[in-house]
Amino acid sequence: GGGQQRAPPEHGRGAPRILVRLRFLRLRAGAGLGARAPGAQPRAAADPGRGRGRGRLPRERELELHRLRDPPLSVPTGGGRLELSGSAGCAAGGCRDAWASEALLVVLRAGPGRGSGTELQAWAPGSALSGEPLWAHTVGPEAEGEDAPGGEPQAGALPLLPGGRAYVSPRPPFYSPLAPELRARRLELGAEHALLLDEAGQVFSWGQGRHGQLGHGTLEAELEPRPLEALQGVPMAEVAAGGWHSVCVSETGDIYIWGWNESGQLALPSRSLAEVGKTAAGEASGLKEDGCDVRTAEGESGGLAPFIAIQPFPALLDLPPGTDAVKASCGSRHTAVVTRTGELYTWGWGKYGQLGHKDTSSLDRPRRVEYFVDRRLQSGCPSLRSHPLCTRVGSFFSTSSPTPVVSCVVDFSCSDRCEVTSPLWF
Amino acid sequence: MAEGDREPLAGAGTLREALRALLPPTKEELTLQLGERVERSVVRLLQEAVELFCGGRGGECLQASEAILDYSWEKLNTGPWRDVHRDWRRVYAFGCLLKAVCLCEEPGDAGAVAAALRVCDMGLLMGAAILGDILTKVAAVLQAHLPSGKRPAPGPAQEQPHEKKARHDRVWIPDVRSERTVPRLRCPSLQHFRKHFLVPGRPVILEGVADQWPCMKKWSLEYIQDVAGCRTVPVEVGSRYTDEEWSQTLMTVNEFISKYIRDEPRDVGYLAQHQLFDQIPELKRDISIPDYCCLGDGDEEEITINAWFGPQGTVSPLHQDPQQNFLVQVTGRKYIRLYSPQESEALYPHDTHLLHNTSQVDVENPDLEKFPKFAEAPFLSCILSPGEILFIPVKYWHYVRALDLSFSVSFWWS
Repeated sequence: GGGQQRAPPEHGRGAPRILVRLRFLRLRAGAGLGARAPGAQPRAAADPGRGRGRGRLPRERELELHRLRDPPLSVPTGGGRLELSGSAGCAAGGCRDAWASEALLVVLRAGPGRGSGTELQAWAPGSALSGEPLWAHTVGPEAEGEDAPGGEPQAGALPLLPGGRAYVSPRPPFYSPLAPELRARRLELGAEHALLLDEAGQVFSWGQGRHGQLGHGTLEAELEPRPLEALQGVPMAEVAAGGWHSVCVSETGDIYIWGWNESGQLALPSRSLAEVGKTAAGEASGLKEDGCDVRTAEGESGGLAPFIAIQPFPALLDLPPGTDAVKASCGSRHTAVVTRTGELYTWGWGKYGQLGHKDTSSLDRPRRVEYFVDRRLQSGCPSLRSHPLCTRVGSFFSTSSPTPVVSCVVDFSCSDRCEVTSPLWF
Repeated sequence: MAEGDREPLAGAGTLREALRALLPPTKEELTLQLGERVERSVVRLLQEAVELFCGGRGGECLQASEAILDYSWEKLNTGPWRDVHRDWRRVYAFGCLLKAVCLCEEPGDAGAVAAALRVCDMGLLMGAAILGDILTKVAAVLQAHLPSGKRPAPGPAQEQPHEKKARHDRVWIPDVRSERTVPRLRCPSLQHFRKHFLVPGRPVILEGVADQWPCMKKWSLEYIQDVAGCRTVPVEVGSRYTDEEWSQTLMTVNEFISKYIRDEPRDVGYLAQHQLFDQIPELKRDISIPDYCCLGDGDEEEITINAWFGPQGTVSPLHQDPQQNFLVQVTGRKYIRLYSPQESEALYPHDTHLLHNTSQVDVENPDLEKFPKFAEAPFLSCILSPGEILFIPVKYWHYVRALDLSFSVSFWWS
């Protein structure tokens, strides 16, 4: 169930209020909204030479990752069985990219003939990519040509389509155009919002804003992509969207985070965790941005601890000194970050072991996943370089090793449910 | 019996039987009919949970119902509430049902029954009716099986809270004689009410209509605690919902009374705008629906009945509602001010979508520099006392402050 946050009535005292249904929001009435700039100073660039390149797996490796999420797959794990949900295993030829959600599997495939462009197909997850797709859309060859030099469309960009002119979503409208002026480089979808990163490193957001996930300092919805003024002047390298929260990583390795903090997914003190005795409030919580704190409560130590339910504009996150973030990924209510030195930090909702800390606790501050430190990965797979892929209750992390690593998978439809709380070599 | 005591309940077997008797006998009947919005994998999960339950594998069923609850909870929190598909709320309610029953399967302790009741209440608050409103019935059975230690003894020698308050707070009672008052009528006929008040949209206080309702005599703190004490309800904390510090939380009625009514509360807590009478049918028998509601278009089922229960000092800021309202006062008095919709401009509504029906002005302490037109806006006022009904026409702006420990019941109708 939800945490304790605050909400205004949806239509005043008259209509059924969201409050009564316990979807709480923070209200900041009047001039308080949006008036405060974050004021956080990004750390000085530690490595000015570092570009925006992201270490990616070769294309077919990415497809394997996506497919692993879909087919039922049994892996004995010494006492339990681990199964993945989804369609039957399949080999899909000519796939350049794939993107999966519970309701839809989207595949980007080479068109039938040379020069005929790429086809975007949407499949029901259970279809095993056989039969007819739910719908298909040809992405014109001109869109591809604009991309990387060499003319190949960038894989791994879904739900953003090659050329950055449109994106797909699991809900109607399934195919949405984007203004070309946006020069979209990357797009991420939350449960009810969207984040876009452009070529210049500017972040845009739109959609529902009731949980502060848009980052504009209000709880209002935005119909069109709106730039985050708070982040202007700080070029971003990566964006990630959780269910109701947003993360971005600057070119200099700083993390900015905003949105809903009901399970500590913003790494800010969370009241619901405090009630279970697990919050980091009372210690230095790394809160740089005095976003919206208001309520204070007595922590166990007797000190006052501010709880943040909703952070409506970006806050700078503190990782241990000297660590630079490279990539971020979000599950619905948890967050994972990979650093330049190959360390993995996770925090947020942990009930299904998705944080990888060998327990099922939620966390409201970053904690390093010790598995990768303990195991001293072999050369050839020196560290986690990229691609944490976080789902609702699982996390997948890929390394440069041949096989990807699974943190925890819970499939809502399998019979032998097994919680894996430590990373598991697949 | 202390909280969380691990003694098994005497009569735990009868609780299990009573719960089983409420559930449909076959697996097929214990299945929800769901539309396309709910993904196949979730439907499979529901089926699996039922299988586990019917197969006596309570521990695994509990795990499955947790997954059902976590998944559907996320759906309930996606998009505006009015757009949440009813099927997801039914799935959530179903998860609550299974979890509550599984919690009571073992010869459990008192804590398990209280936890199960809380789960039922969450299903009633956030879910939608399933299987013939089964959650209400399960909740009633659970409530009856809570050990007597959990329900506060209906006590003699309990100090009346309002006496205690009077020692500490001096409430400001407005002098309504100097203000234009709401007209009062004793038992007007339906036609008279319609012609002179409903159609032209004019407020009136109706006397002699509700003063014989059972609630007027029965509802005391002790009675409320007896009937509803262990039930979980939403409580608003903070002086008014336009404040920054305002928040909403869940607690049992007992906790609400002890924290925000009896024990020298630090904050203002208000059990406001909650359909308590759907949750606890026993209380519904103490009230009636005013006959004048039949002048409306809707069915009786479409009338929304809300409870408003709180200490002296609760405030509802000036706002308007999209339906007609009968506000029935049961206990304590409320100071109410009413502004016509024609005065809306002088009331400076917020321009945000979320608060567009709420005025920015603090009625009893207006900032006239910021809101100059407010000073000249005409209004009606009254002190509403037990047994009286205030008719608030649709869209009529109203401001309410409780002068005493107060319980009101509102009827929203169209």
